[in-house]
Amino acid sequence: MKPAFLACALAGVLFAQQFKFNLDHLAPKASEKVDLSLTANLLQLAANFLDTNDADEAKVKKLVAGLQGIYIKSFEFKKEGQYTKADLDQIRNQLKAPEWQRMMGFESSEDRESVEIWVRNENNKMTGLAILASEATSLTVANIVGSIELSDLSELGGHFGIPKLKKK
Amino acid sequence: MDWLEQELKQALARKEPAADFDARVRRRLVRTTPRWLAAAAALVVIAGGGALYRRHQGEQAKEQVMQAMRLAGSKLNRVQAHVQAMGERQ
Repeated sequence: MKPAFLACALAGVLFAQQFKFNLDHLAPKASEKVDLSLTANLLQLAANFLDTNDADEAKVKKLVAGLQGIYIKSFEFKKEGQYTKADLDQIRNQLKAPEWQRMMGFESSEDRESVEIWVRNENNKMTGLAILASEATSLTVANIVGSIELSDLSELGGHFGIPKLKKK
Repeated sequence: MDWLEQELKQALARKEPAADFDARVRRRLVRTTPRWLAAAAALVVIAGGGALYRRHQGEQAKEQVMQAMRLAGSKLNRVQAHVQAMGERQ
């Protein structure tokens, strides 16, 4: 009974998630890890507890209203070389056109840092976001599932103490 | 005294209860009251516990959503800042 229930729950997560992470093998090597799997039900529950009198929470509440899930895996390592290019490639290979498009990104060979933002479009509507961020000793992969407007994306980028970018 | 009066007098005459009547009543009171109280108390505990658990789950979900937004927001900021810096350099 228990394995069947777990299999159903896992199938539900994979169905909601728009691509597979396949990064569990990195967990034992990580000194710190964040593993968030927030389904639509959990997002709805969280939204009930977000305080609209708090500016940040009110914005997050508005953002969460259009989402069906947030899935994030983030690893911090004590030393370099704990993940490989193949770990990121197996995710990139799932982000295929025409649904997925690379919106922006940068790569710094000097700092061994790269960040890529991918968006998923269906019927001319943004229905998902993928973030692949890697540094020498850290790796973060995120899949935000749902209807995300570009204005919400820019709001997301300028909160929690992080300065908002100047608009030209 | 006619027969009717006689019948009524007999029917309404004071009768002593059975010897164990008092004990039986007390036993029943002792038995039923705690059961009722226990059921009510159990209901209150279950309802209260459920509400507390729901609240705990909600607060936990909220913290996770805020953490997810912070993480995603910081990565988005990082790439936006880099793209902006590149634009300023050109």
